[in-house]
Amino acid sequence: MIQELFIAALLFFGAGFVLPLAVRSDRRIVRTASYACTILASVLLGIPAIAVLLGSGTVIFPAYAPAGLFSIAFVIDRLAAFFLLLIAVVSACVALYAIEYSEHLDGGSRRNLLCGCTSLFILAMVLVVASANTLSFFFFWELMAAASFFLVMYEYDQPATSRAGIFYFIMTHLSTVFVMLGIILLWLGSGSFALDHLADTPSYLATGSFLALFTGFAIKSGIIPFHKWLPYAHPASPSPISALMSAVMLKVAVYGLLRFLLDVFSPELWWGALILVFGTASAVLGVIYALKEHDLKAMLAYSSIENIGIIFMGIGLYIVLGTAGLPFLATIALLGALFHSLNHALFKSLLFLTAGSVIHATHTRDIEHMGGLVHRMPKTGALFCTGALAIAALPPLNGFASELLLFIAFFESVTVVEPLVKVFLFLCLALFALTSALSAACFVKAFGSVFLGMPRSPESAGAHEVPALMLAGPGILAAACVVLGLFAFQVLTIAGFTIPVMPDIFLIGLLLLMMLVLTYAVAFFASPRTSRVSGTWGCGTHFQEAGTEYSGHGFSEPLDIIFSPLYRTRIRNERTFFDEHGAIFKSGTAEIRLLRVFEEYLYLPVARQFYRIAGAVAKIQNNCLDTYMLYVFVTILTLLVFLGWSA
Amino acid sequence: MSLDFIIYLIINTAFILLIAPLFAGLIRKVKAWTQGRQGPPVLQQYYNLAKLFRKEIIYSPHASWIMRATPLVNMAAIMVAALFVPLVFVPEPVGGIGNIILFLYLLALARFFMALAGLDAGSSFGGMGSSREMSIAAIIEPTTIIVFAALAIVFKSFNIFVMFASSAATGALTTPTIILIGISLFIILIVETSRIPVDNPETHLELTMIHEGMILEQTGRNLALMELSAAVKLTLLMALMINLIIPAGLAVTLTAAGIFIAAILFILKGSLLAVIIGLFESSMAKKRFFQLPSLFAMAFFFSTLIIIIEVFA
Amino acid sequence: MIESAFVAGLVRVLFVCIIITAVYIISARNLLSIVSVYAVQSLTLVVIALLLYLLEGAPVLIAIAAITFASKVLIIPYFIATIQEKIRIKRDIQFHFLSPTSSLFVSMGLMLLVYIVLERVMAATGDRDNLFFFGAVLGISLMLMGMMVTFSRKRALTKILGFLSMENGVLLFGLFVTELPFIIEFLIVIDLIILVLLTTILTVGLDSTLEDYHKRLHRFHLWEDEVEVR
Repeated sequence: MIQELFIAALLFFGAGFVLPLAVRSDRRIVRTASYACTILASVLLGIPAIAVLLGSGTVIFPAYAPAGLFSIAFVIDRLAAFFLLLIAVVSACVALYAIEYSEHLDGGSRRNLLCGCTSLFILAMVLVVASANTLSFFFFWELMAAASFFLVMYEYDQPATSRAGIFYFIMTHLSTVFVMLGIILLWLGSGSFALDHLADTPSYLATGSFLALFTGFAIKSGIIPFHKWLPYAHPASPSPISALMSAVMLKVAVYGLLRFLLDVFSPELWWGALILVFGTASAVLGVIYALKEHDLKAMLAYSSIENIGIIFMGIGLYIVLGTAGLPFLATIALLGALFHSLNHALFKSLLFLTAGSVIHATHTRDIEHMGGLVHRMPKTGALFCTGALAIAALPPLNGFASELLLFIAFFESVTVVEPLVKVFLFLCLALFALTSALSAACFVKAFGSVFLGMPRSPESAGAHEVPALMLAGPGILAAACVVLGLFAFQVLTIAGFTIPVMPDIFLIGLLLLMMLVLTYAVAFFASPRTSRVSGTWGCGTHFQEAGTEYSGHGFSEPLDIIFSPLYRTRIRNERTFFDEHGAIFKSGTAEIRLLRVFEEYLYLPVARQFYRIAGAVAKIQNNCLDTYMLYVFVTILTLLVFLGWSA
Repeated sequence: MSLDFIIYLIINTAFILLIAPLFAGLIRKVKAWTQGRQGPPVLQQYYNLAKLFRKEIIYSPHASWIMRATPLVNMAAIMVAALFVPLVFVPEPVGGIGNIILFLYLLALARFFMALAGLDAGSSFGGMGSSREMSIAAIIEPTTIIVFAALAIVFKSFNIFVMFASSAATGALTTPTIILIGISLFIILIVETSRIPVDNPETHLELTMIHEGMILEQTGRNLALMELSAAVKLTLLMALMINLIIPAGLAVTLTAAGIFIAAILFILKGSLLAVIIGLFESSMAKKRFFQLPSLFAMAFFFSTLIIIIEVFA
Repeated sequence: MIESAFVAGLVRVLFVCIIITAVYIISARNLLSIVSVYAVQSLTLVVIALLLYLLEGAPVLIAIAAITFASKVLIIPYFIATIQEKIRIKRDIQFHFLSPTSSLFVSMGLMLLVYIVLERVMAATGDRDNLFFFGAVLGISLMLMGMMVTFSRKRALTKILGFLSMENGVLLFGLFVTELPFIIEFLIVIDLIILVLLTTILTVGLDSTLEDYHKRLHRFHLWEDEVEVR
């Protein structure tokens, strides 16, 4: 049954891909049909995922092996089922939203390509997660990368987009290279492509393979310092695609890392410490960069980096505690990481979709040109607010539930015997707390400057609420955020993990509601119910202008200054004088800019080196047919000699 | 949920609501004395709240539902957080109530809405207050979590109820380290309740205000709710310190006499702490905003030191 | 009789005090208070020595406490305070290499580093008491922190205080690790050296035969009892 449903889902995804490409006419009905296929497929995918997750047993599909070693096989165990569920929920909501959204895009029949590729992209991610061996994993991984590249390049005629697309293409293939390297090293070690436990592999091969795979997955999931493609690619692509990439594709990379760590390797302590360090760095730096950002979608992209960092912290903690002989705490940390993956998928796609609505209504991504939208788009505002509360990890929403699990794992780790590990964990804990407090500040800024106050541009003043379909998708996600938050304890219990130290958030929710009702009742009965409207107090000015209110930049200024050593502002001024003493000023230029540390000190030097090597290699390409014939001749000759030698 | 626990919920909520304005008034009185003024009566806070409750509310034309919901959400979150800190009677914890992380995040929930309300009316004062409040809250957070982690190490639990119960069982200091943790808790209290040298609760001067700036647009009963919740938060953090350092008299069984004595003792100890806070504030000058990070770095260093010593030595 | 666990707890609290005083000497700007903080640091050492006496009962500890109290709590701070009354420099606000905030984190890192290194060094010596081991770690860290003061601060007086707090580190290390009867002589020798060093400075500062020095102080308006000229 599960097998049939899964295959049906795959077929529907395929239909969603083929339909808009086969029927090339630029009509709404074609695209709606394609999205409907995607939604249906997601629902069909969700059912087997839930079934397996609740313990109906691992499902193994017969392998399809066209040639020898190369075989494609699928298996759905609980880990895969969890990620399939995540993909299914987010894809369904995103597709629901995109039905209406894609109609408002420019591009004529190019929009058919958009919805077709969306379907293909989701299909590829599903197949990556369901893959049973490294070869098919790698094959679909590459398919996913290609499909997502086309989606990012949707507005290819914009220079910014094509630059972002190329950047993304390079980074994602760098990731593929490392994953391939890791898989090859694994094959050298074990001699098979199966995702089985490594038994008697030399440890240097295992370590090398782990490092390669970790780098590959870190690039794909945007771990600092490999994160730079996220803030470029997300603003460039259409909002549903940003939502899918941020919420799901990054999680597929997390899945990859987890799959290899859990099933293939037997991790050592320093692996865990490595993942924890990278996770912590990404979490803290991600949110600090997010605070500085005033492009709404780039800000969300940086916030994704932060959340992926938190997930990696959970994974690292899992390994550290696991090797320290504390399996129960390790499980809590792993659950925290997994639960946060799901939660981040939900609230980040919610935020990206509502951000898409806002951008659609105001035609700008700059939060300084928004403001006052809560009066004009009340429903979108409420949905965004839910997402902001969830991502700021506030109870009783889901973001809090998963961070709580990580906090519990950290706090309980005081029983870890090694004192040095303890101090290391405490430092990570402090940075983790800093991260979640900063993300609260970041989303107060986001919600405050986008929705509250007065409109700061005519577009923002004339914005209207989006159509119902564009509210339905985010609405489901927001509801999921609330439900998963309130019933976190119960959900974990149903999934088979009872954690006695985990507080029952539903009870807290009830208490909050009770106190709210109580306060309201007291306020309602004990005080006069009159209220009137009068201008905001502005120190006695006659009228108030939008220019005087606190802007997003102003809001984050204190934190900008506090963290200024991290932002690395470059101030450059050059002056020339008439006299040699430098007294009579002639002319000068001054410039203040943000140093793009990673780009300028890491990416560009590496890129330059490669450029140099490529230049050297290019010399053998001289565009003359005879030369190429010579190459062929030499190659055949070499092969002949090699054959004779080895025979 | 046992009957004991329900009684606890009622007693704790009622008691904290009753005494919270007292401590805030007392601090104000002490500060007035040290400045050579007579100062308002100690009970002035109660009169203020009663007066504000009878006034009508004025909303800005730019204000949205955030402005209307914030006083209620804020009060509710702080009151739920108040259930996490037993003042006079420590029952068995139920369903994770008393979890120290949840406690912190309930305070964060209240702060989040307060900051949004500051931005809501489009006033630059409110925005300034929100921005500074969120910044300060963010950079003190590592210190807070480290102090709570130190408490978790000392008491082998991260439930406030369990901590209080074990400190009440000893009656005095569990270990001398608690004194150091107490100092850290005091710093956190000063920061979280926006007092000198971090913020000046008395002024509406734009250069100094943080918390007051945020609630500048609140009027009538909404303002009353905001002020009351601030007082409750102050009392909560004070209770956390008091019941860990001088737990003498804290009731662990539910008897009328025990609770009565505990309540009297708590008011005495709280008044003492309020006087100390008042004197501390009077002896300090308000720091420049951008000097605060180095102050917090000191506090963080101090708390980490406690952990290191506790772990290693 | 006091419980030994409680005494150990008190010693831990004093450890924190010592580190805080050391950090204060690294990061404070007010010269006058640095001297009194140095006195407090020495006093803490005295108390630690007395508490150790309660734990171990070696009478030499009392001798150490007494000698430390006399020299480092009373005499040396008194001399330095005398110079400071005369010289107008009250603040040391310049820092080399390290800012006050970063020196906090550097010193925390130092402590961890010393811990790791010492743990490897002492691994061979078998079982050990955590408190004593950490006392030794703190001793070396305090020494290093004193050294940090000598290179990160500019004023000569602060440098001297850094040197003195280095010596306190040696004492602390001696209290917790080394055989005490041997170390005591060593300590006294070092103390004497410091005293000599101090006296030289005092003579440079106070002796009026070095007229050049005095004139210079006058010229730069650094001498206190001079009439303000505007």
